[in-house]
Amino acid sequence: MEIVVCIKRVPDTAEAEVTITEDKKDIKKEGLAFEINEWDNYAVEEAVQLKEKFGGNITVVSVGSAESNDIIRRALAMGADRGILLRDEAFDGSDSYAIAKILHGAIKDIKFDLVLTGAQAGDDGCAQVGPTLAELLGIPHATLVTNIEIEDGKAKVRRELEGGLEELLEIELPALFGIQTGINEPRYVSIMGIRKARKKEIVEMGLKDIGLTGDEVGLAGSKTIIEELFIPPVGEGAEIIEGDAAEVSARLAEILKEKGVLA
Amino acid sequence: MEIAGESFAEKFDLFGCFQCGKCTGGCAVSLKSQLNPRRLVREAILKETELIFEKEYLWDCTLCGTCTLRCPREIKPSEVIIGMRGVLIEEGRNIPKTIMEALESVFKNGNPWGRARMKRTEWSEDLDVKIKSLPDGDEAEILYYVGCTPAYDPRIQEIARGMVKCFNVAGVDFGILGTEENCCGNEVRRMGEEGLFEMLVEDNLEIFGNYNVKKMVTTSPHCFNTFKNEYDADFEVQHYTQFLSKLIEEEKLTFSKEIEKTITYQDPCFLGKQNEIFDEPRKIIEAIPGVKFIDFDRSRKRSLCCEGGGGRMWVEATGEGERNAEIRVRDAVEMGAEIIATACPFCLLTLEDAVKTTGYEDKIQVRDIIELVSEAI
Repeated sequence: MEIVVCIKRVPDTAEAEVTITEDKKDIKKEGLAFEINEWDNYAVEEAVQLKEKFGGNITVVSVGSAESNDIIRRALAMGADRGILLRDEAFDGSDSYAIAKILHGAIKDIKFDLVLTGAQAGDDGCAQVGPTLAELLGIPHATLVTNIEIEDGKAKVRRELEGGLEELLEIELPALFGIQTGINEPRYVSIMGIRKARKKEIVEMGLKDIGLTGDEVGLAGSKTIIEELFIPPVGEGAEIIEGDAAEVSARLAEILKEKGVLA
Repeated sequence: MEIAGESFAEKFDLFGCFQCGKCTGGCAVSLKSQLNPRRLVREAILKETELIFEKEYLWDCTLCGTCTLRCPREIKPSEVIIGMRGVLIEEGRNIPKTIMEALESVFKNGNPWGRARMKRTEWSEDLDVKIKSLPDGDEAEILYYVGCTPAYDPRIQEIARGMVKCFNVAGVDFGILGTEENCCGNEVRRMGEEGLFEMLVEDNLEIFGNYNVKKMVTTSPHCFNTFKNEYDADFEVQHYTQFLSKLIEEEKLTFSKEIEKTITYQDPCFLGKQNEIFDEPRKIIEAIPGVKFIDFDRSRKRSLCCEGGGGRMWVEATGEGERNAEIRVRDAVEMGAEIIATACPFCLLTLEDAVKTTGYEDKIQVRDIIELVSEAI
């Protein structure tokens, strides 16, 4: 089974204080730690597990800067076979649509049975690259996938719906699946493993290599433009509890009791 | 199972083992866990190490080092356990999720607590004194290596602040590495992540070299242990108890207040057993006016591990039964101690938890030696 996995390098903003750049179009990246997008990590693990079952090859593809080599190498250490870094100044400012076009440019020439993406990315949260890429490739897709079973050239996939519902689909391959977190337990990737993966090939491709022109990518090739990025204003109704840990938890327990959450 | 072409028995030189069982007899957790150092060594000799993947209890070990210290044949069962964990780490499977998260956080943020690097100096923000920062161009005689837990844990931050007070009162010329300070790797190595440990050693030696570090004082015995024994370092490293004990002896640090309490002392394994620093902490406690010092029956080399080492701060053990820290708290209460003093962030956290779970909050307190000193000066 030939599998392509699309991955993205994103900043870890769960704990860091996020600030906005002067032009209000982006966040300041200084001092932030970067990592593979959480959903993409599950997608790589899923690909590796499918490869362990059915054999074949895994190609990981990422659009980004030279630093994205870090996450590609990590995916290679997890069990992927080769990497493609799509890197070109012309790609700067690309929205989900333009990114999908860039990925399509690289993937259209690869023989594949399955394309996996994360269901969404932790930074912009658009969740559009997967479905758009599937349309460009002319293949069916499913999003928020929580289970994949392959049988006779078909995939049975489970999708997570709202309110605890699940949907079971049968889809003919080749297809694209947007992977939801929790589909598996991603393995640990050791530093020695990453070092050993340096032997595996990472191909770098630019605008010309994928047969696109400058006005098809970047801002010019995008359908959405960021007007302004801002920190949400503080809303009404929130009570900030002051004090040390003991005082704060005592007050919190009090409130939860008042509201009937705790008996 | 082989490591780089060598069998476990060859790599760890296990053939001398005559199965006396002193390792298991002294083990801090073998009474309540399936972890059995003697059996592990035997299985390694018999090449039954494929079983490693079924041994969830490998993560129960606290790396207190008792097995290795008591072995009459100079075999190191604790190193065998690290090696076995290393096999799991390199395979990437059968590793507790919380251990994986701690390791990933060290790689990403330079600390195992999942906290942002930029918040590493948070502990010092409310202080009314300015601390010299080596990355900002300040020069200082001594590097105070704060450590991850004192930098981030709200309870342990008090210890770092107490340390600053002691330094300042004694007129010590010290500085910190601010947000450039990185995990020391002591626990990382013991979780079996050898590659990450090597990377930290390399990065840290470069940082210490950049700021021309000649002398370092650490808050934690864990950081102290690895800098002293596992880095090929050309700087002098001391645990703070060694440093403070000298300051008190030279009367650079004198006490003005009394603490009229009966105090006992928990020997941190990485300070006591593994580095034989037994006297300095006791000297400091006894120097505080008003203190009545009593020792545990099991003290010094025979001290009972709190179960906070070897990665255990990030994973619950498999076995059932009372926690060692709870046993420690009960023993301390029974012998009439009002305070258990210790000199390790992990001991403090495990013992303080145990005071709560045993319901002895009204009877006994757990304090770090720094807290006692900074209160009494």
